[in-house]
Amino acid sequence: MAHDMQTGVKKRKFGHGNPKFQNTRKGKKFQRGGSGQDDVRAKKMDPKTKKFFQKRIRDYNSDDDDGSHEEQEKVHGDAAGPVVRKYERVKRKNEKAGGTGMDFSDDEMDEKEEDSGEEIEVSEDEDGEIQPGVLRFSEGCKAFRLAFKKLTKKTGSADEDILGPVLKDQKKLVAEKLAEVDAEQKIKSVAKKKKHLVGEKGHVKLVNLDSHEKSLIGIATKGVVKLFNAVNKAQHAQKGLNPGRFKDEKVIKKRRKEAFFSALGQSSSKQVGSQPKVDSSSGTGSADAPAWAPLRDNYMLANSKKKDWDKMQETTTDADDFGLPAGADSSSDDDE
Amino acid sequence: MARFRNKKKNVFAKNVLKKQPMMGVDHITGDKIPKSFVFSRGKLPPPLRQLQMDLRKLMLPYTALKLKEKKRNNLKDFLNVSGPMGVTHFLIVSKTESAPYLRVAKTPQGPTLTFKIHEYSLAADIAQSQLRPRCPQDLFKNSPLIVLSGFGTGDQHLKLTTVVFQNIFPAIDINTVKLSTCQRIVLLNYNKDTKLIDFRHYSIRLQPLGVSRKIRKVIQKHEVPDLRNLQDVSDFVTKAGYGSESEADDEAATVSLPTDLGRANRKSTQSAVRLQEIGPRMTLQLVKVEEGLCSGSVIFNEGGVSDAKKKQETKQVEDEDDEVSEDDREEEEEEEEEEVEMEEN
Repeated sequence: MAHDMQTGVKKRKFGHGNPKFQNTRKGKKFQRGGSGQDDVRAKKMDPKTKKFFQKRIRDYNSDDDDGSHEEQEKVHGDAAGPVVRKYERVKRKNEKAGGTGMDFSDDEMDEKEEDSGEEIEVSEDEDGEIQPGVLRFSEGCKAFRLAFKKLTKKTGSADEDILGPVLKDQKKLVAEKLAEVDAEQKIKSVAKKKKHLVGEKGHVKLVNLDSHEKSLIGIATKGVVKLFNAVNKAQHAQKGLNPGRFKDEKVIKKRRKEAFFSALGQSSSKQVGSQPKVDSSSGTGSADAPAWAPLRDNYMLANSKKKDWDKMQETTTDADDFGLPAGADSSSDDDE
Repeated sequence: MARFRNKKKNVFAKNVLKKQPMMGVDHITGDKIPKSFVFSRGKLPPPLRQLQMDLRKLMLPYTALKLKEKKRNNLKDFLNVSGPMGVTHFLIVSKTESAPYLRVAKTPQGPTLTFKIHEYSLAADIAQSQLRPRCPQDLFKNSPLIVLSGFGTGDQHLKLTTVVFQNIFPAIDINTVKLSTCQRIVLLNYNKDTKLIDFRHYSIRLQPLGVSRKIRKVIQKHEVPDLRNLQDVSDFVTKAGYGSESEADDEAATVSLPTDLGRANRKSTQSAVRLQEIGPRMTLQLVKVEEGLCSGSVIFNEGGVSDAKKKQETKQVEDEDDEVSEDDREEEEEEEEEEVEMEEN
């Protein structure tokens, strides 16, 4: 039976485009022919089973006293709906037409027999009475069919959305909900963007090599060249002497001492020259910034390289605003 | 309470470099080596955190690269640690609604220079913009040179800036320095018109002059050259290919070396100095100079006049990003009052 149900479902799906299916649906007028076909098949059946079925049908009919199965169906239809019934029948017919009915199990045959039998009965026994009812039923079925077709057509032809025909009614609701979520996200993203912007403030990602950068590189290069030349000049004197060897080290020390003393004579005069400058400048500084002098004292105390500081000034003022700590270190202060 | 203290100390003790047996003293020259902490006050957005990391790398090797800071750490914690560790400079990155700020302070008594960072680019940004970013292995093993340019206008605050920045890196002794250790250079260029300081960080590269590119490559790399397209081996030497990209401006950038430097640059040959930026890049504006360590009276203010009013304003601004302890604040205010009195007199 389960197998039957499955095939039935399949058949139903197929049935939409099946001409035979449509034929059977056109009305009960054609049922005669259909039932005739059934009869032929019934004849092929075992007479014993046929008899059995017939008996069962009779019993079934006799349960309702009217004897009309159509009405019985209608009564049932209140609960399950006549349409469904109709479909069931159509399906069965379809199955028969497809020729699959040949290898049906007894149960199935039973049902079919039931169907065909009842149809025969209806048409034979109470033709005049039932016919309009049947028509009405078929008409109703047609309307439903049309509606259903319309629905399926709509969903099939216009691939408008994922929402099925049922959800379509709720489309507005869903859209509202989506819009709400969207708005929420938008607010969130705006806040996030704002935060990001604050965080990125001043951050320049696009780095291009313009003339300004080139000039800066030029300045830095000049500084490096200056230092390297100074180093070259200073270390040229020690050329050929290995500072690792004791003998050479002595010579180097001697030379440095000489250089130091010679530098001392010069630098002392320089210091005298530069010292007033610092003082005067600090004097001017004290005019607008009263706390300058204590700062300077503090700095001088804190910083051990007083000599460097002076030298630094020289280099900045003399040599085109360059300050290299390398240049600041005189050739003297290491050995002493 | 005591337990907390120990914890804090341990955090820093892990991170400080202990290279020399004599702490904080150069083993050749005997000079005191300046060391630095780079840390932040307040919560930083990711790019600024990266900038802080770049600054730490720039300050290598005498800095704590992996300095851990916690929310509850205040300036005093760092200050307490700085003494035993021989840390002489603080670089403090902070941020307000308007702009990020960089404070360069000398420990333990100041002065503190506050710079407003107008623009900055991270090392990653700069590397991204370059076709071939360069980073040799030992690039960060020695401290950089520093070049200060345009600061000689005679202004007090500029002088102070030069001094602070010169002493932030160890001094170089011309007689003993090895040129192979000069790998990086930090440039600070003061623009008189805009009053902005350009902060740049370059790597130094030396190239032998008068040698064709192919031969230079053969010498520098340990690779067998590709001779497939050549008729004869001599073509490799004679075919010059395209010339060097900037042969013309080499005149100013040539040096003769006292010693060999690598494989390509030999002693007493001409070499060209080439700089390549490694970042970070900053455009700074000196906003304020304070006497103490993030406290004390304001010596210089960008507003020009050191009015008490202005001071208060700046202090309010500073309150947002700075967490100076209450005692300091009180002292500051007292000092300020004194100053006001002085001015009135």
